[in-house]
Amino acid sequence: MIYLDSAATSFLKPATVRYAVSEAMRTMSSPGRGGYESAMRAADTLLDCRLALADLFCVRDPAHVVFTSSATHGLNIAIRSLVKPGDRVVISGYEHNAVWRPLHGLGADIRVARAPLFQPEDMVQAFRELLPGAKAAVCTQVSNVFGYILPVERIGSLCREQGVPLIVDAAQSAGTVGLDFDALGCAFAAMPGHKGLLGPQGTGVLLCRDEAAAPLFYGGTGSQSQEAFMPEFLPDRLEPGTHNVPGVAGLLAGVKWLQQRSCPAILAHERELLGEFCKRLAGADNVRLFRAEDPQTQAGVVSVQVDGMDCEEAAAKLAERGIAVRAGLHCAPLAHETAGTLSSGTVRFSFSPFNTRREALTAAEALLALA
Amino acid sequence: MQYLLTFRSLTYAQRASRVLERAGVTGTVSRVPKAAATRGCAYCVIVAARNRDWAVNLLTGAGLAPERTILRHPDGTLEVSE
Repeated sequence: MIYLDSAATSFLKPATVRYAVSEAMRTMSSPGRGGYESAMRAADTLLDCRLALADLFCVRDPAHVVFTSSATHGLNIAIRSLVKPGDRVVISGYEHNAVWRPLHGLGADIRVARAPLFQPEDMVQAFRELLPGAKAAVCTQVSNVFGYILPVERIGSLCREQGVPLIVDAAQSAGTVGLDFDALGCAFAAMPGHKGLLGPQGTGVLLCRDEAAAPLFYGGTGSQSQEAFMPEFLPDRLEPGTHNVPGVAGLLAGVKWLQQRSCPAILAHERELLGEFCKRLAGADNVRLFRAEDPQTQAGVVSVQVDGMDCEEAAAKLAERGIAVRAGLHCAPLAHETAGTLSSGTVRFSFSPFNTRREALTAAEALLALA
Repeated sequence: MQYLLTFRSLTYAQRASRVLERAGVTGTVSRVPKAAATRGCAYCVIVAARNRDWAVNLLTGAGLAPERTILRHPDGTLEVSE
């Protein structure tokens, strides 16, 4: 199989991740619940992972690195911490349902900052017009459908000027596109552990600016256990219940692997594969590529349409040829609406550090054979 | 004699322990004895009595000031010294 669905999950992972998960299951129990060796080993793993993530994302206080079960979990915490029913919230036109649905569920007054694909200036302007009076803003750093790198630094700057707290959805960017949390000044950044960070499924991370976050779940934390309320401090405030220790151990191994290679190098590799893939398809009249003119505005994800062929049919035919991609709306109808592909959907190819040039070209050839 | 430096969470106690370790002093993370844990489960770092002031200063400088310091006598009795 040629796996080109890393935007869904990093199925291809370093061997050290699998080993770390296995070792954690063999040697670690529950952190914060006892002072014996296996509990403290688990606690050390959690702290090591917080420190590694704090280093990767420039978070001053590693206690503000919170483990979640997914980016969706983290986004729900962030949104419920900042938004009340009826509050005006500005979101980009490329947000995932992990943002759109919680806001709808809360009854927020959602204002969508729409701008064409790969036009960062227009997106900044759209946010500028909508931010006054908003209680919060949410922006994805990279579109999960199109790989479009949104100008979150500039949007963050606008939010700071307007005093609007910003939530960054780093689901598609963490591990490739850099995120300087302290410099960006956003209130929260949420990300999965199992995509670009190369950890196991069931892991996620929420970076928090301050401790005033609202818990989504309530329960035991191994601290202040005589109190009926949740601790006021992080990470305990947002981490009730037993931790996913094997997951965090695997995530730590994934982050270490990334740090050894550097995120810019991985992004460059994925862009190179994307470039080869697109170059091979460039001459095909009946293949539409959603490709940025400026390569700096696109990560290693690209959407494609084949004239006269349903996107699901195209993905199924590619699967028959051993090529794993995702078709449809990718849980991001807003992004498709903004790009004008809501009725048709797209076929998404997403590259990883483990894909090769040969695989990218094989996938392109397979697509050409369909067209 | 030993001092128990208490922290608001396990994460802070671990970080304190590592700061001390980097400075060449052993600070073992442990659970706070129930009799001294006024709000329920809590964690501390145990240091030798002679290192108490130095450790507190070092940790305070690192932004990890202990919540309390508790003297543990050789017979196990505890004396909160704040």
